[in-house]
Amino acid sequence: MLRIDIPERKNWKALANELGFHFHTIEGEPYWKEEAYYQFTMEQVEQDIEAPTEELHEMCIELVDKVCHSNALMQRLALPEHMWDSIHNSWKSGQPHLYGRMDFAYSGEGPAKLLELNYDTPTSLYEAGFFQWVWLEQAIEQGILPRHADQYNSIQERLINAMAHLGDRIEARTLYFSCIKDNAEERATVHYLQDVAVQAGLKAPFIFTEDIGLRSGVEHFIDLDDKPIHALFKLYPWEEMADDAFGEHIPQLNTHWFEPPWKAILSNKGILPLLWEHFEGHPNLLPAFFENASSPPLPAGWVRKPFFSREGSNIELITPSGQREAIGGPYTDSPWIRQAYHPMPRFGNNHALIGSWVVGDRACGMGIREDVGRITKDSSCFVPHAIV
Amino acid sequence: MSKHEQTPHVPRRKRSARLSLAMMGAGAFGLTACGQPPEEEQITEVTFDEPRSFQSVEDCVAADVYTRSACEAAYEASLEAVPRFSTLEECEAEHGEGACTAPTEEQAQAATGSSGGSWFMPAMMGYMVGNMMSNTNRGRSFERVYQEPVYRNRQNQGNWNAASSQATQRVTQRNDAMRTSVAQTRQTATQRSGFGSRSSARGGWGS
Repeated sequence: MLRIDIPERKNWKALANELGFHFHTIEGEPYWKEEAYYQFTMEQVEQDIEAPTEELHEMCIELVDKVCHSNALMQRLALPEHMWDSIHNSWKSGQPHLYGRMDFAYSGEGPAKLLELNYDTPTSLYEAGFFQWVWLEQAIEQGILPRHADQYNSIQERLINAMAHLGDRIEARTLYFSCIKDNAEERATVHYLQDVAVQAGLKAPFIFTEDIGLRSGVEHFIDLDDKPIHALFKLYPWEEMADDAFGEHIPQLNTHWFEPPWKAILSNKGILPLLWEHFEGHPNLLPAFFENASSPPLPAGWVRKPFFSREGSNIELITPSGQREAIGGPYTDSPWIRQAYHPMPRFGNNHALIGSWVVGDRACGMGIREDVGRITKDSSCFVPHAIV
Repeated sequence: MSKHEQTPHVPRRKRSARLSLAMMGAGAFGLTACGQPPEEEQITEVTFDEPRSFQSVEDCVAADVYTRSACEAAYEASLEAVPRFSTLEECEAEHGEGACTAPTEEQAQAATGSSGGSWFMPAMMGYMVGNMMSNTNRGRSFERVYQEPVYRNRQNQGNWNAASSQATQRVTQRNDAMRTSVAQTRQTATQRSGFGSRSSARGGWGS
């Protein structure tokens, strides 16, 4: 694994704008960067990222089954009680899921270490699945990369297959897509998923999360024309849905959700100590424990994360040499876990984080984010990768 | 892991052969708009003006409030709303001795579309006409005429003022009932902002 400086494609910003990637620059700061790329060998990709991703995914699925059959575990993960039946039923009835992303600390040597799962509302999907692929093709074409260069990326192809599979199982092959208002990046990500759904032969109307309607006597949540929403993709986390005003109606209505309710188990950082409990010593896992009232102050070499947090918020770490780093944020109302600190590789000033994608149940690609800090945040840049 | 070491992926190429976008980017807007089902319109509010009473269609036309065709249509609709009985005795038992009559040929024609009237009704004395205004959830308003027959019965004994005051009461009750039911529809109408409204403080939800 190397970080290699290369020339940018000419006019890539114009191309990005043309392809709907308006957030390549966010508030004047670059988000997509292609003055360098991360170089991997085929062995690194297949043995150190792809294979462990599939294995960890299977371990996660095994745990979902355990949690679904245990109220004690549901409670331990702070899942709201009114959602237990929905979670259990969505799992028992085999409701399919779409995707997830595992974040790894990996330097090119030794096993990749799982830092966390983003299994409910993963983003950086368009960048990884589409724009990164276009970059590789054009970089080869323009002589920036050799002809034999490759990329670990069948994300979009897998998404289309997964959507077609869902389409066969939902009413009128219609899947609504939603995200909250006033967030251009999330709207673009959802737009990309709509595009994928359309390519898979689905109807893919959009509704803002806030506009989803509820009407007594109707068995589904409803759209802006008061028509029933039989199936809905939401870029909005389960823990928030459950707490929202309509949360208590979720178990009573027949709307199918993507991701399904059982994903609430895996989008919760409480899954990390459970994984360690069940598969202690696994080479891709870091020691992790639930924090409790008698836990001592955070010692050196440990990281503290809330159960529910996004984009690095409310994460605190102390390196083995005693350097403390912390990100503030709003996620203070859930329990905490502690995870052994494992350094991310550093290239110049940048710490690189591997996002390894799972679509359906297949590992199928990766995207790399880098940040000058040790905690990857929403402002961290996306840098493409190639197998050379 | 071992599974993969035993069966390495056969094609060494790790990326898809081709990708495309169907709707994202330049010139690819408008799909959600086209995919929306047609609008379903519902009345969210009704208001009624004070009805006027007329003793005949000519009376209505002369008042110069409604067109002749509106006056005639309202008369026919009023006539249809007059209670009907199959025998004179049944009608008189309900509405009082001497209050009932067989329809004239003209009335039978207007009420049923055929001249043969083998039924009895309290004697029609006139009718009331008013305007109803409806507003819908799509922001549209439309107006239509409502009407009520004025007829003889035991209480009014053929007195025009008493009969039209009874008709006014019936109209008021019916209009109130309609207002209430529209208001109830509005109360059980769709609630929104039940998801995602607390979230703006936290920005986005992707991870």
